[in-house]
Amino acid sequence: MNAALVSMVVPFFAAMLVLMWRPQQQSWLVIVASIVSLLAAMMALLSVIDSGPQSLNLGGWESPLAIRFQLMPVNALLIVTTAVIHLIVVCFAASSHHCQSIKQAFWPLALLLHGSLVALWLSMDLFNWYVTLELLGLAAVSLVTLAGHKALRAALDYLLLSLFASLTYLLGVVMLYGQYGTLDIALLATLTEADRVTQTALLLISAGLMLKAALWPLHLWLPAAHSSAPTPVSALLSALVVKAPLFILWLLWSRVAPSELAVPMGFWLALLGGGALMIGGWSACRTPHLKTLVAYSTVAQLGYGLLALGLLLHWQLNDLQAALWLFVVAHALAKTSMFLAAGEIQASTGKKRLNSLRGMTLTMPVALFAFAVAGGSLIGLPPSGGFIAKWLLIQPMLIEPAHWPWALLVIIATLLSAAYVFRVVSQGFRQSSVSATATEHGKSAQWLALLPAILVWLMALFSEPLLQLMDVFSA
Amino acid sequence: MAASELILDLILCLVLLSLAVAVVEVKRLYDSIILFIAFGLILSITWARLGAPDLALAEAAIGAGITGVLLMAAYANLAPKKHLQNSHRSWLAVGFSLAAMVWLVLSLIPLADSPESLVAVAEQAMADSGVTHPVTAVLLNFRAWDTLLELVVLLLALLGMQQLRLPSLKIAYPWPLLNAWGRYLAPLTIVIGGYLLWRGSSGPGGAFQSGALLAAGLIVLRLNHVIPGLSWQHAWLRCSVLCGAGFFLIIACLTAWLGQGWLDYPASYSASLIFIIEFLATISIAVTLAWLVTGQQEAAS
Repeated sequence: MNAALVSMVVPFFAAMLVLMWRPQQQSWLVIVASIVSLLAAMMALLSVIDSGPQSLNLGGWESPLAIRFQLMPVNALLIVTTAVIHLIVVCFAASSHHCQSIKQAFWPLALLLHGSLVALWLSMDLFNWYVTLELLGLAAVSLVTLAGHKALRAALDYLLLSLFASLTYLLGVVMLYGQYGTLDIALLATLTEADRVTQTALLLISAGLMLKAALWPLHLWLPAAHSSAPTPVSALLSALVVKAPLFILWLLWSRVAPSELAVPMGFWLALLGGGALMIGGWSACRTPHLKTLVAYSTVAQLGYGLLALGLLLHWQLNDLQAALWLFVVAHALAKTSMFLAAGEIQASTGKKRLNSLRGMTLTMPVALFAFAVAGGSLIGLPPSGGFIAKWLLIQPMLIEPAHWPWALLVIIATLLSAAYVFRVVSQGFRQSSVSATATEHGKSAQWLALLPAILVWLMALFSEPLLQLMDVFSA
Repeated sequence: MAASELILDLILCLVLLSLAVAVVEVKRLYDSIILFIAFGLILSITWARLGAPDLALAEAAIGAGITGVLLMAAYANLAPKKHLQNSHRSWLAVGFSLAAMVWLVLSLIPLADSPESLVAVAEQAMADSGVTHPVTAVLLNFRAWDTLLELVVLLLALLGMQQLRLPSLKIAYPWPLLNAWGRYLAPLTIVIGGYLLWRGSSGPGGAFQSGALLAAGLIVLRLNHVIPGLSWQHAWLRCSVLCGAGFFLIIACLTAWLGQGWLDYPASYSASLIFIIEFLATISIAVTLAWLVTGQQEAAS
């Protein structure tokens, strides 16, 4: 547990240090802080594997009074993922020539975002989650505004919707507290009954969280905010920030909600997930802009998470937990790669439109390769992290003939995601009318964009220990 | 007695509701802001009537005071043409809101007679908390982690505002009355703010209320040109903005490393630790809120 706390505290302290002393070379300090945080996160994961879940009451108070932290395999994995992605994104921001203008303000905000995320993964307290969600929302909105005046509109929409979602969430939390007199997830799980107050509270909390996570049909703010943000920011937002509300949603419905409420709700959540897959995928196939395409692909891929969560609740099938969280981790890595590659390409051509990609195989082969490799995992090609997650999801669907329509849905979604990935890649192979300008396009930044895509394919090699980790948890 | 109290409560409810509708419905944005400040004050009286003096103080200082000044400062930056509210009314939205309200109120009715088990638990633990006021004990001991993160929220709000690179507040030459009043008001805010902070350990008060009051004093002084503009380039400003959350975080780490555990204060020091944390948090809150209103001042001026 102490290692996890270190992983959370180091980014906070580094942010304050950067703000206070304002050294000339901030990037090294930030990279060192991210490395330390990553090492601590790995130690936390190892300790969970060794000695199982750990719990900590903050302030040493008894359980209903104190805020409780709990380290489980799932959130240990998420802490490591967060640290890995932050390290890669920070290195990318330091090495890319196109990120010079945002640097000064980017470092402290990114560090605060990192610390807040770890604080959210660790917490098991409904009100503390509200505070961490506020932190995430404010940090994310501030990061979006780094792109300058053109992003202000999207940032303001994001801020207002995020605040509205926070209030909805808070109202639900107040109702649960009023009814049961506790905010702790584990205690609530033993108390809840399927009455009207609980149902209303859970619906309010879910609506707030779904708005924050941009789950279909509450996703309308996401494409604008994520595509207008600076490249490293888009990667952080799409890979990590939208997953945080999903984590709370999962704990809430799988632990707190009584099964009389969870089973019918699961069906609706799964249906919404299906809607996200179809509409998100379709929009990604239609949009003329590169970064908007990647943002719509986030909407679609979040649908898999929602589908897994919904079916997990509807069929009361704990095996799907592994599918849900492997999806989240695989998508986080793949989407980081995609956004970094897309952003680097867009910044060097200076054009947003998809047809400006022509001839990219010659000028920026590594970036295009990174996009394609990451896309492979999003489609679910074997042997990638995305494939394992999809396999776990589709297995229980195939066993029972009554579940086949869901499998059909997943297959159509897969075809759609293949369509939008190839839409980008095929442009790269078209011959450019302009002769390829063989300028130096920031080689290291392109390789950094490729790194998470390679990691997501490596996940397949380590699928057995990963699945064991998840099994330990669900048992 | 009971009848007169009921009449007062009914009047409060009526005024609150009509002010809320008026804030949305008036045409000129300026009137809307004034009504919003009035709404905050009535809301603060309502909290006091409900037996929550801490909330009443916070609402008066932050909700009505600082938020009102922030809205005014934003209004001053608006282009002249945008001084009218959007008067387009959607009956669909009105109907939807009313339906949602009815649904919520119906679901809330069973809550009226549910037990509040945590109150009893908190009262039992009060003896070990180092303070005698339950709200302070919850904010700075039982759930200190929430308060620490709230201080980071405030820091993020400031960083977010910095990104917008708003023009600094144009301050007209103060008229004589403001000048004269400022001389009396500023020391008073320090005295009352200090009292609220000190009082926080045993009664209603504490860092947020006191910080908001001190911020008001700073803003008055700035409007009178008594103090120079607040600039992020100044080390003292960055130091005072960061000291609250920073010290809190250091204490958290020290208690985890050397003591019993994360934010577990040693029993003999908890009273003084809580006071130091509140003191530094007050400074952070005051300077941050004042900066949010007056905005970044260029170092040259």
